[in-house]
Amino acid sequence: MRRPGFPDSLFRLAAAAALAMAAAGSPATAQTRGGELIVVQGSNPPSLDAMTTSSQASRNINMNIYETLYGFSEGVKPIPILAEGVTISDDGLTYVFTLRRGVKFHNGKEMTARDVKASLERYRRVGATKNLLDPVADIAITGDYEVTFTMKKPTPTFLEAFSSPRAPAVIIPAEEADAEAGKTSFTGKGPYRFVEYVPDSHVTLERFDGYVADTRHDGPDGFGGRKTAYLDRVIFRIMPEPGAQVAALEAGEVHLLEQIPVPAARRLEKNPDIRLYENMPWAFLTFILNIAQPPADNPKFREAVQVALNMEAILAIATEGLYQLDHRWQYPGTTYDPGDIGADLYNLGDTERARRLLKEAGYKGEEFSILTDSNYPQHNKAAVVIAEQLRAAGINAKVKMVDWPTALNLRLQDSGWNGWTLMMGIEPYLGPVGLIATLTSPARPHFVKPDPELDALYQELISGPTVEARQATFRKIQARLYELKAIIKIGDVGLMQAARANVKGFRPFRFPRVYDVWLEE
Amino acid sequence: MAGAAEVPLAAEIAAGRRRRRAAFLRRLFGHGSFLIGFVIMALFVAIALAAPLIAPHSPIASDYRNLNAPPSALHWLGTDAFGRDVLSRIIYGMRVSLRIGIAVVLVTGLFGTVLGVLASYVRWLDGLVMRMLDGLMAFPGVLLAIALAAVLGPSEANAVLALSITFTPRTARVVRAGVLVVQGMPYVEAARAIGAGHGRIILRYILANALSPLIVQLTYVFAVSVVAEAILSFLGVGPPPPAPTLGNIIAEGRSSVQETWWLVTFPGMVIAVAVLGLNLMGDGLRDVLDPRQIARREGN
Repeated sequence: MRRPGFPDSLFRLAAAAALAMAAAGSPATAQTRGGELIVVQGSNPPSLDAMTTSSQASRNINMNIYETLYGFSEGVKPIPILAEGVTISDDGLTYVFTLRRGVKFHNGKEMTARDVKASLERYRRVGATKNLLDPVADIAITGDYEVTFTMKKPTPTFLEAFSSPRAPAVIIPAEEADAEAGKTSFTGKGPYRFVEYVPDSHVTLERFDGYVADTRHDGPDGFGGRKTAYLDRVIFRIMPEPGAQVAALEAGEVHLLEQIPVPAARRLEKNPDIRLYENMPWAFLTFILNIAQPPADNPKFREAVQVALNMEAILAIATEGLYQLDHRWQYPGTTYDPGDIGADLYNLGDTERARRLLKEAGYKGEEFSILTDSNYPQHNKAAVVIAEQLRAAGINAKVKMVDWPTALNLRLQDSGWNGWTLMMGIEPYLGPVGLIATLTSPARPHFVKPDPELDALYQELISGPTVEARQATFRKIQARLYELKAIIKIGDVGLMQAARANVKGFRPFRFPRVYDVWLEE
Repeated sequence: MAGAAEVPLAAEIAAGRRRRRAAFLRRLFGHGSFLIGFVIMALFVAIALAAPLIAPHSPIASDYRNLNAPPSALHWLGTDAFGRDVLSRIIYGMRVSLRIGIAVVLVTGLFGTVLGVLASYVRWLDGLVMRMLDGLMAFPGVLLAIALAAVLGPSEANAVLALSITFTPRTARVVRAGVLVVQGMPYVEAARAIGAGHGRIILRYILANALSPLIVQLTYVFAVSVVAEAILSFLGVGPPPPAPTLGNIIAEGRSSVQETWWLVTFPGMVIAVAVLGLNLMGDGLRDVLDPRQIARREGN
């Protein structure tokens, strides 16, 4: 928009000045060392022993303390972090990892191959996703700074799986490798070191001045890259009540909210002291059916559920407006994006068709119990709307709301529930292998009864020699998931974060990276 | 034998009873607090009973195009995070509160009376029953209800059960105290002397005359049940979603009080007014039924 009488040349000059000022304020020139950053999250970390937990509340903190040999880049590609690199033999049976030299643990000791082997052997014992090392027959120290993995068979997707941050295969000092789960001293080698954990209150981290940055990068890249700790201390404060979190942010008592309710974010949009960050897509919202029990053991019934659901209504309510409609079991535009497969069955909200299918299925009005939890609003709101839509189609749907740990226990029972609402956060981020592993044997699939065809496709996926071959397999998986209709994709969910305006350098990611973040005076 | 003129006729007895009842009602409705409380509660009950007729929208039908809408001509009290009409949810929520309140009063009244009478009338049971009830009363009332509801699971029936277990001991104590006073009265002795059975003595002579404190106690139980149900629902152990209750409407709005103030304010006001009405009614009943106050009035 132009003001009357404002000459074009001046207008352009003003625009150029604005750009120059923006450039001058870029992170490269303005970092300030020191200060204390207070990050807020809703729940306690179940453990600070990073390899033993796949909880997001733990990952938020742990990924600032620990590092792995390999991890995902911003573009979700495996990149070396503590490793200099890896050489994979032509037959895919040997992986030789060379380590970066001079890298120090928080106790001052230098990391060597001995620490790596000890950490990974511990991961085999206590790692929360220890099966990612199943393809590895042996880990050998082949030099002070070199470890060699001998594989049982070629596993082309191994490096991706090994880079997973879900329950990361972090490297800890060899002396701690015999410790039982949760019994280490939380010594890592990341840019911040652990100081104190007071459950229900806070976790305190301090800058690790002996941190050796990875100079191969210009700045942070995903879980790796060149990390710089500017802050003296970082406190992760545990505040369960979202209203209290927002009030604390507005009052300036805390600096960064790991998650802010969307209505509050909308209200704060114009507040100059607050900056909002949108993480989209953050998770899949799914509706899982128990196909081992009637009525969802009947494929016709499952089809009725699929066509009855209006995903837009469910997502709009469950996410408070932060969503994208997406039928795909991989995020759009990513390597394994399966295209339009399944789109014809997605977001139909076709009550009449559902009624016809229910009649064909011989459904007699049996109760259909939708399990959900009170802890995650996305879960319980989705359950309420799904139940409403299914009732409109003639299904006797009831919502069974319990707390999150109880829901996790109940869904492990073969009976007592018929549907379950679940957000899958980290699994879709990990790519197809991480996601489909939760739906296939040998794990217990979320939908209870394994599907042999899907199991076979998973094996085909993990042994696919090339990306193209795996992409083709994933398209078959996408088609199979829409045939099976045992887990229904509702859509993609976003995550809104917020920080005080004086928090600089923060970029939203899978965990709050507190390195390369500083506080402006 | 006394003359026929000295024996009151049945018609005169009935007329006397009618006069006493009319005087009692005049006293009751002439009591300012009681009248205000009664009007409030009558309105509450009327709205709850007429919910399907007066609620402008369905209390459970969501509308994703109209989420968290502030009060407007279409939705007088706004909509919630599901796009549901808050006014309709409050009206139906009052129905749930009323249902639970009445159910708790009935269950508590029945068991409280039975236990209270047993403890006072059957002397050897007194210690046993009262120590058990004392044990239950050692827990703070609402806390016990929350614990029970959490164990039993969220449902309307379980909320009634939890609240009834919580309030029965208090009611039983009140009944026991009343019965202990009344059962020593000469007319009870007289009834026993003319050979009346235990059932007749308890129902006709003891309970009928120990009813006043019980009524006051039950109005109190009703008021507390309405509030306690809101607390249970607020904590997620009341009737499960999507059932509307005053407590869960507030619970759903508590994380966004600044953004959706109408979710907390309006049901909160309803709870406050209902509790005020019930307390005023209770106060009025106590004043009118309290024998000492009656004596004082009559003395004046």
